[in-house]
Amino acid sequence: MENILLKNNVAGIEAYFADGGYKPLKKALGLKPADIIEEVKKSNLRGRGGAGFPAGLKWSFIPKDAQGPRYLVCNADEGEPGTFKDRELLRKNPHALIEGMAIAAYAIGAGHGYIYIRGEFAAEAELLEKAVAAARAKGFIGKNILGSGFNFEIFTHRGAGAYICGEETALLESLEGYKGQPRLKPPFPAIKGLFGCPTVINNVETLAAVPAIIEKGGDWYAALGSGKSAGTKLFCVSGPVNKPGVYELPLGVTFLDLLEKSCGGMKTGKKLKAVLPGGSSTPVLTAEEALAVKLDYESLAAAGSMLGSGAVIVIDESQCMVKLLQVLARFYHHESCGQCTPCREGCGWIDKLLSRFEEGRAEKKDIDTLYSVAEGMLGRTICPLADAMAMPVMSFVKKFRAEFEAHAAGKTCAEAK
Amino acid sequence: MAFKLSEEFKTKAEKLCAKYPRRDAALIPLLHELQKEAGYVAEEGMDALALFLELPYSRVKAVATFYTMFNREPAGKYHLQVCRNISCHMAGAEGLLERLRAALGIAEGETTKDGLFTLSAVECLGACGSAPVMQVNDDYFENLTGEKLDVILEELKHGKYPSQK
Amino acid sequence: MPKLTIDGKNIEVAKGTTLLEAAQQLGIYIPRYCYHPKLSVSGSCRMCLVEVERGPKLVTACSTEAADGMAVLTASDKVMAARRDVLEFLLINHPLDCPICDQAGECGLQDYYMKYSLRKSRFSQEDKVLRQKRRAAGPRLMLDNERCILCTRCVRFCSEVTKTFELEVMERSDHSFIDLKEGKALDNDYSLNIADLCPVGAFTSRDFRFKQRVWFLKKTPTICLGCATGCKIEAHHNENTIYRLAPRPNSETNTWLCDHGRLSYKAVQAGDRLAKGVIKNGLIDLEPALREAATRIDEAKGAVAVLGSPWLSVEDNAALARLAKDAIKTESYCFDLTAEQGIKDGILINKDPAPNTSGVKLVKEALGGISLEELVRRIAAGQFKVVLTEARAALLIKDALKTSGPRLIVFACAKSEIPAGAYATFPYATYFETPGTFVNYQGLRRRTEAPVEAPEGVKPLWALVNKLAAYSGAGLRLDSAEDALKEIIFK
Repeated sequence: MENILLKNNVAGIEAYFADGGYKPLKKALGLKPADIIEEVKKSNLRGRGGAGFPAGLKWSFIPKDAQGPRYLVCNADEGEPGTFKDRELLRKNPHALIEGMAIAAYAIGAGHGYIYIRGEFAAEAELLEKAVAAARAKGFIGKNILGSGFNFEIFTHRGAGAYICGEETALLESLEGYKGQPRLKPPFPAIKGLFGCPTVINNVETLAAVPAIIEKGGDWYAALGSGKSAGTKLFCVSGPVNKPGVYELPLGVTFLDLLEKSCGGMKTGKKLKAVLPGGSSTPVLTAEEALAVKLDYESLAAAGSMLGSGAVIVIDESQCMVKLLQVLARFYHHESCGQCTPCREGCGWIDKLLSRFEEGRAEKKDIDTLYSVAEGMLGRTICPLADAMAMPVMSFVKKFRAEFEAHAAGKTCAEAK
Repeated sequence: MAFKLSEEFKTKAEKLCAKYPRRDAALIPLLHELQKEAGYVAEEGMDALALFLELPYSRVKAVATFYTMFNREPAGKYHLQVCRNISCHMAGAEGLLERLRAALGIAEGETTKDGLFTLSAVECLGACGSAPVMQVNDDYFENLTGEKLDVILEELKHGKYPSQK
Repeated sequence: MPKLTIDGKNIEVAKGTTLLEAAQQLGIYIPRYCYHPKLSVSGSCRMCLVEVERGPKLVTACSTEAADGMAVLTASDKVMAARRDVLEFLLINHPLDCPICDQAGECGLQDYYMKYSLRKSRFSQEDKVLRQKRRAAGPRLMLDNERCILCTRCVRFCSEVTKTFELEVMERSDHSFIDLKEGKALDNDYSLNIADLCPVGAFTSRDFRFKQRVWFLKKTPTICLGCATGCKIEAHHNENTIYRLAPRPNSETNTWLCDHGRLSYKAVQAGDRLAKGVIKNGLIDLEPALREAATRIDEAKGAVAVLGSPWLSVEDNAALARLAKDAIKTESYCFDLTAEQGIKDGILINKDPAPNTSGVKLVKEALGGISLEELVRRIAAGQFKVVLTEARAALLIKDALKTSGPRLIVFACAKSEIPAGAYATFPYATYFETPGTFVNYQGLRRRTEAPVEAPEGVKPLWALVNKLAAYSGAGLRLDSAEDALKEIIFK
């Protein structure tokens, strides 16, 4: 199957144009906005940032009669550990995003779009600015796009080091010049978003899929993939595989195929132990579970985990699961925005408990404490960061309890795993 | 200490402010600019920025301390930021950090006496497929090994900026 | 109008009512830290989580609007478990310094722990996050970051009410903390409200700290006389000493209380409080002093002027008017006082610093008298041998007095109030020591209650007036403050 998102040699605007780029935009501008939304609904395109919310439905939430500005925001705050697809997409195919944004903006009636890119991606932000400038020079962005009377401007905005800004309302806060602390919902961004105006926030990968959907139709896209998980997905594979990287594959591909066919299998001497199938926040799968699972929204949910951002973190037998969980806990402890009590205090507590395991200071009862602290955080906060900490903890403890017990009995990582 | 925003800064700042319907939305980009000029975000800089954007100082300070990319103290010429999150960890990030600590004689969060290097352990840099990864100032160095790291360090010490990979 | 049930009880509420408010209407209390009815909703402490039947997750009662058909549970197992967990989270990094914490006895953590948790901590002491201990955050406040639970009420108060923006949460995660600019003081006009708002011992009042354990305090509702706003307050006192004032939130005037008003109780305990009469500069007992004054008034044979005071209660002003009219029988009495009224800072502080300008007007309406202008003219023209008034009101006629030099007889609480050149001064009971009626800038009639007794020998002003009248041979027969009000018509 031909790649929709990750194409070679289309980074420059000329090459992108030669490849048929910006034709979908022209087509879209000849359609009614409502028809575009219908087409995207038909495609079953779902949010690729992690939550998997249907994109067309999200667009349709913008009130038809809303007065004043509306905004389109692209979430390029790629920060979920294990995820590096947006960076690849921005480097290889920035115009798919820009074109996707122009189409989405037309569909929802937005005059301005912001690309919120994580602060560390300075090089990608620069590439993006150049790409936007090139698109503007060709009249694909700016005033009266392709003579349609539609105006749309794109600005890039760099973050400054905060994982939480990947959460859409924290992102809006940050974009407005505040601390990235998630907002209470409702109101949802579609009603009251950026600068208090109706706003749609989509992930880079979601928006970049839009031109192909407009070009070839929602039905075509819906037929790709598997069932309700339509289309292709960028899978980011990291860990001890022969060829880690980003792979564009139809949703529903088996983990086994991804591992063996795309990534060339495990590195020599490395044996699969576990997989975090959708980023560091998703419940861990054992090797056995992973090897039996298809990578799509429904299959992963049925397996007790999530597709998340499509970040497949492969873990081999040489790793101590307690140590890996500590690495993750340190991260969530570092990244909690500090707003909600359970997350602010719970992430730190879990981090400290895991340090006790690692440093040989833990007792057996600490395993239950660890689990119940995570349970106490789950579903009790404004945003899902607490859940993102709790889910790996609970799944690691459930599935690899023996390693925690070994640590509690005074064994080192090497002895425990 | 009297601290004044340079005219150049102000011109740039006005351009950045114009991207948003409200000027204060430019706060984070402007903190980036401040840091670019001085290598860190100083108290006086925050004061000046608060005045420039007509914001309470407390807001500027809260924002500057919330985001990890803003240095509160002068950083070295080269800010070595080693990712230690899960994929990089599995790929040997701890070893790289240990190697850097030994080579530079500093711990994470410290700067070498000659002001050349600041060492930081950071969380996921979003380049997990090419772990382990280190960011030097704005640039990524990927698929690192101990040997590669030694070469990079040597080159930086001799004022030669390594070609990225 | 959404209809819902809360813990099985039916209720219909106005659209936009939150679950917390709806529960409150039913008398069901939902614990909370960050929520405050007069501040924006933050929803972050997570203490008010409640269960909505068929809902996937618990929701914050403070931020969730009541909707038709909702069935809300505020004490289900899930809810109780969430409260226990949130309390445990809040307590892990909280210091165990209750024995030396001034908040003890009115601490949100203590109270809720006893009510909703009682769980033994599973957190090890050595893992606690250490934050900065106490420091002066301003002239009137202490800040102890280690006790802070980051509810951000203080931050929101400074940004939404005073709009002075001193405070913010710095950093993030569990090392975040409340702070203000280094070297800057938190000294806005309302700063002490922060000590009230703070549900724990993070912000405490420097004035009140360590003066008294709160469980010893009795509370008496009364009125602030710091300006014409007339805020409802309560005095907290024990063994005839007032220790602090706090607002009594109400919809008519005030949720908060300004620092000036809050510290106004200090006048009661002022070091230069008068307990005896003063003739010229010598202290003498009250009775001989009153006789001396009565003699001077008699000698003046009607060449006496009486001026009311916006600092005195309606009762005391009315007594003065009766003294002039019925005992001294002078027509030169003035209760014609005006001052610009209205909130000057958009919050509470009034343009009129005196508490009872409107009340004095009622005395004038009932008992008549001449205009202030006329009084000043007559004093300046040397028509009087004696002028009688309250100490601060004497400032209104200061220049005229200088010109003609009549004997000035004043009522004052403290030595520092006595105007230069006063012939006689009589101490009177403050309105923390005797009840009094005041009419605020909105025309609302309010009565102070006396939480403490006046120092020995110090009487209410109306009683002094009654004696002066008696010594002058014309009884006013005032047996109580109420007697003075007989002719006053309140609207």
